[in-house]
Amino acid sequence: MSAGYIDELHEAFHSDLVYRSEEIPLECSPKPKEMEQTLHGVMKLNGLVIRSLEEIAGRGANAVTYRAGKKFGHEVAKYFQKREDVEGALHELSDLLRGQYSFEVWKPEDKETFIIEENGETFIYLVFHDCIVRQTLRRNGLDQGGPLCQTLFGYVVGAIEEITGRKAKLEIVHTGPNACLKKLVLK
Amino acid sequence: MEIHVDKDACVGCGLCVKDCPMHVYELQDNVSVAVRPNNCMGCLSCHEICPAQALEHRGIYAARRHYIDVNVCEMLRKVV
Repeated sequence: MSAGYIDELHEAFHSDLVYRSEEIPLECSPKPKEMEQTLHGVMKLNGLVIRSLEEIAGRGANAVTYRAGKKFGHEVAKYFQKREDVEGALHELSDLLRGQYSFEVWKPEDKETFIIEENGETFIYLVFHDCIVRQTLRRNGLDQGGPLCQTLFGYVVGAIEEITGRKAKLEIVHTGPNACLKKLVLK
Repeated sequence: MEIHVDKDACVGCGLCVKDCPMHVYELQDNVSVAVRPNNCMGCLSCHEICPAQALEHRGIYAARRHYIDVNVCEMLRKVV
């Protein structure tokens, strides 16, 4: 390694900035637009972690990622307003997920209400439009519906349970390149 | 939601009929017809699966795409 290169590196990581411990950063640095390479790096890494986890743990990978997502959901939703009604809880959830996921409550045209009762279970269809998990999977050429999707499932279930105090379950109905249909089963 | 099937392009393979969970499509005279467009939730998996690229959706929400690799696109632009 040449001395010139080392000097160049030192130069790149040196500034005259005075950093005080009491100064709290109020915005991301650098600007989000300049973070594209970082985002791709994170997506790539996430994809590789999930692929390796699946290779080693097999179907057990789903349980691990679901559990991780659920804990995260409980943790984040702890600070949100507690709601008993599912509609209100979903509203809180959409605030919680803003920027990472966007979803809407959906129903087929033959159903009259969004809360559907069928075969002894009560559920709501959710269509996830923007989803960072789907982006990551497609970036890495991985199938949808696998362990990385389970993190989102756990996250939603954990958050709904925390907000409403009711047990819930999320099932995949269909996955697509532009949106995914999921079923939120309420217990 | 408005779904248009190009009848000249459709090969009648029925993949969209099998794939759609909401039974939006039906095969009529060996051509796919969107019989329940209001049941479409815009996943666009029918677009991905259609070998003839015969489908067109109007009034759909296009999800954000973060997965496009800018470096690859840059290289493609130079080549194409």
